[in-house]
Order: sequence, then structure tokens, then C-alpha cells
Amino acid sequence: MSQQYDRRKFLSRLWSWSAGLVAAAGTWTTWDVLKPKASVGAGPVRTVSPDEVPSSGVLEIREISGYLTRVEDEVVALWWRCPHLGCKVPWCDTSAQFECPCHGSVFNRVGEYRRGPAPRGMDHYSTTVESGLIVVDTASITNGDAPGDESIDEPPIGPECLEGGEG
Amino acid sequence: MSIGQRIRRSTVGRSISRSPDVVTDRDRATKHWASFLLHIYPVKVRRQELNFRYSWFLGVTSMVLFGSLFVSGMYLMFFYVPSPATAYGDIQNLQTSVAFGQFIRNVHRWSAHLMVLAVAAHMSRMFYRGAYKPPREFNWVIGVVLLVLTMLMSFTGYLLPWDQLAYWAITVGASMAAFVPWMGAQVQATLIAGDQVGSATLIRFYVLHVAVLPGAMVILLMFHLWRWRKDAMLSQPQEGRA
Amino acid sequence: MSNQEPQIVGERRVLGIVPGRPPVGERKDPQQDDSVMVWPHLLVRHAVVSVAVLLLVLILAVLFDAPLRDIANPTVTPNPEKAPWYFIALQELLAQFHPMVAGVLVPGAIIIGLVALPYIDRNEATSPGRRKVAVATFTIFIVVWIALTIIGFAFRGPSWSWVWPWQEWYGVL
Repeated sequence: MSQQYDRRKFLSRLWSWSAGLVAAAGTWTTWDVLKPKASVGAGPVRTVSPDEVPSSGVLEIREISGYLTRVEDEVVALWWRCPHLGCKVPWCDTSAQFECPCHGSVFNRVGEYRRGPAPRGMDHYSTTVESGLIVVDTASITNGDAPGDESIDEPPIGPECLEGGEG
Repeated sequence: MSIGQRIRRSTVGRSISRSPDVVTDRDRATKHWASFLLHIYPVKVRRQELNFRYSWFLGVTSMVLFGSLFVSGMYLMFFYVPSPATAYGDIQNLQTSVAFGQFIRNVHRWSAHLMVLAVAAHMSRMFYRGAYKPPREFNWVIGVVLLVLTMLMSFTGYLLPWDQLAYWAITVGASMAAFVPWMGAQVQATLIAGDQVGSATLIRFYVLHVAVLPGAMVILLMFHLWRWRKDAMLSQPQEGRA
Repeated sequence: MSNQEPQIVGERRVLGIVPGRPPVGERKDPQQDDSVMVWPHLLVRHAVVSVAVLLLVLILAVLFDAPLRDIANPTVTPNPEKAPWYFIALQELLAQFHPMVAGVLVPGAIIIGLVALPYIDRNEATSPGRRKVAVATFTIFIVVWIALTIIGFAFRGPSWSWVWPWQEWYGVL
């Protein structure tokens, strides 16, 4: 009697464990299919020589989806994606700052937060110089700084590109 | 005897419908039980359900729009390849050189907008009628899930034309997910399959739009309607009995 | 109960005594009175509704073409950039509040609130007068949501600035 009971218990446990195993395998497979792939082409990108990077204004580089600019000798590589909701942040020539057309976030020349709904400044790529060319590593992104004091003293020089956007 | 009757009473006719004569209410009930399509409905409902203001017929409106989307969507699938290289051209081709292409695309688009509207309105009407009260609580929950699925269907479909409208609406929409606490970046990256909207996003949204979400909706709809059928003759909760 | 001695009244055993009033007199009329056959009564109405809805879709589809803009271009963000209309209330909130609030907390609270509604509101009454709190809460939510949707859809222009829809139009369906 007790032997029968044990066998029944064993079989029912076997069932539950097998079902659990199949469920776990299914979950793992699904996750493996859906998990974010490393984005195509992310990695070191050879761009231009440091002399071509302007110290006023910015240089747009499509290959890195971003901009290069310079503070004295230090090259800054910015990702053009707005930290608010991911729109491309264009450079505005007339005011000499970054102005996002989606929700009106504004950043200065080195991507530091000025105003608008963005939670932080624009994100940076890390850069190195190899054989006279700036190499931008698009796989290595650091978040922009939280809103605070700006490290450069360059107020807007003229009218903004945003139409009537007050923030 | 009319031709229709003659066909219904023939051997083949009887084998299909099983209840050839419909004269009395009892015949009608028999026909109900015997017919696959009619069995979705209860045999009888309360008289109030016939009034327009009882439900504004928003549930059946949603069902009709779902059917319209199903049919027009299948037509569109014949002319669409979900790849950034071809998607936009396929839509242009559909609009200019496929018979009724533009019209079917319009039908699909308008049905989608109207369905979101109809499902949301259906939910509001059910709220004001108190139709989520016991024992119908769980059918309300299913209904909320169906509303979310309807919006996800619409959202995933929005990307497929691969135009500026689609691309940036999905970019902005998916970026909202990045603000989920602790795991926002992973959620967003899983949603759009990478760090920006691209070919992997397109195929992912396409599969969700034409297979995963409709399948989930059909299963939930069957349960939703089955519960409605079961509860059709339920007496209304009496006022002030609390 | 079971070990009590059986009670005998007039040579008969009493099996049980039922509390409450007798069923006769309080019983409602048989329910057949307010029920109707689905076929034809309800099916005819559903058929009419179906035809009306399909007619509406047909008219809209003939009159208005679905929009198709330029091909997707990751390097140019259109201005203004609007979400689909059913998410535009969220986008309007996003322009006003931190994304954590508008993009996660508010939609999360709405969905959880709707799912939990039948289990929170245990009041059995169905007439609006007897469930004022529930009706008032839901109505305020719906009105605010519709207002935000209309503002975001019709009253927002470039850079999400305020425009008057009769002067400039930026809504897209």
C-alpha cells in the first residue's frame, strides 16, 4: 500500500519537475531570441584628425551618429540621441546650441543640459587618437551629466531654431 | 415548398444544418445548439439588451472592426515584406499599382483607429452600467487586457509603413520604456531589439502584429464572449441589497 | 446535530427546520417575461450595427487616404514629432512632467487601477446615484484624458509649442 503511494507520488513529482523544466527551457529560449542584440556596427570608428574638429560649432559625423567638438585640446564626441525620448538633437547654427525639436530640450555646445524635459545632458562616446585620427568607440557610451553648472561660458549667440518653444 | 427549404431538407442539407425547420421558439433554440456560429450567442437574452442605450452596441462594433482588420490585413500581407530596404517601396507599390491597394490600406487604417475608440468606449459604457460587478469581475479584467492588446496591435502596426511618421513615433514611444526603474534600458532594448529602431525592430514588430498579438486576442476574445454568453440571463444585482 | 435524538411529531420524523420567510408571496414573476429569443431579435440588431459600422469605415476609406510621409530617415527628426493619437495624452504629460512620472507611473497606475477596479469597488449597487465615488473618479479620469488628447493632438505645433488649430494644423491620424 505504502509502496503504491510512493510510486504515485514519485510519478506526480516527475510530472511537475518535467513541466517546470520545459517551462524554464521555453522561457530561456524566448529570452535568448528576444534579448537585445549588440547593435550592428557598434565599435571603434575612425573619423577625422583632431585639427579638423572645430572649437566653436560642431562637426556632424554620420558614421558615429553624433557630433565632434573641442574644448581647448580635449575632443568631445556626443551621441545625437536626446536623453529625453530619443529624437535626434540637431545643432542650431544661429544660437550655437543643441535644440531638440521634439519636446524642446536645449543643450550647450558640449552637450550639457540647459533646459527642457531631458533628465540629463547628452550622452558621450569615449575617444582615442590613433595614427593622427580620432577613433570614436560607439559601443562605449557614458551618460551625460545631471543638470547643473555649465563648464563652458557660451550663452546663445542669436535667435533659436525652435519656433516659439519656451520649454 | 421553396427551393431554400427543399435544399435544407435534403440529405446533404440536413447533414450540414441538422435542424431544417424553424417555426417555433423551440426550433430556434434547437438550431442554436446545432449551429457552430450561432452557439456563440446565448439562446435567450434579457429584453433590455435589445435597447440601444444598454450597451450602445459597442462590443459588437469592436468585433466587426476586428473582423474588418483581420480581412484587410490578410490582403495587405500579400504585398508587404518587412525589411527596411523594401517596406516603404512595398507600401508605395501597394498604393499605386495594386488593385484596391490604397482602398484596403485606408480600410485597415480607419478600422484600426475606430477599433481603439470603440473598445475604449465599450469599456466606459460597461463601467457606467456597473457591468464589472460580481460575478462578472474577471470578464472586466479580460476586457482591460483586450484594450491593452488593441493598443499594442495599433502601435506595432504603426511602424510597418517605415515612413518618417512611423519611425519617430516608435522611437519616441519606445524611449518611454527606458524610464522603467532599474531595468529601463534593457526593457527598451528588448522592445526595439537594439539601441535604435532598425531592421531587427521592424521584423519584431511585424511578427507581433500579424501573429503573436492577434493570436492572443483571439484566445482572450473567445473567453470574453463565452463568459458573456454564460452570464446573459444573469439577474441584475438588486439595488440597495448591499 | 447528527447525534441528537430524532424529533418525532405526529408519528413523523422532522428532518430539518429552514429559517427565513416562506418563498410564496415574495417570489418575483417568472423570468420568461423579460427574456427574448436572440434569433431574430438580437441578431437582427447586430446585423444592422455591423452594416452601419462597415459603411462608416467604407466612407472614411473612400474620403481620406492613410498618410504616408517620406521614407524613414534616422538623421532627420520631424518637427513636431507626435505619437499616435491614443498615446498623445501620455506625450502631453511627458512634456510637463519627468518621464519617470509620465512614462511609467501614470500608465502603470492606470492599467493596474483598471484591472483591480472590480476588486476595489465592492459596492453592489449599479445606479449612478448609489456609487458616486466610483462614477466621479472615473468621469474625472476620462475627462482629463480626453482633454489631454485633444490638446496634444490639435493644439501642439513645432517644438510642442501651443498653436490654435484654426490657424495652424499639425494633427496626423
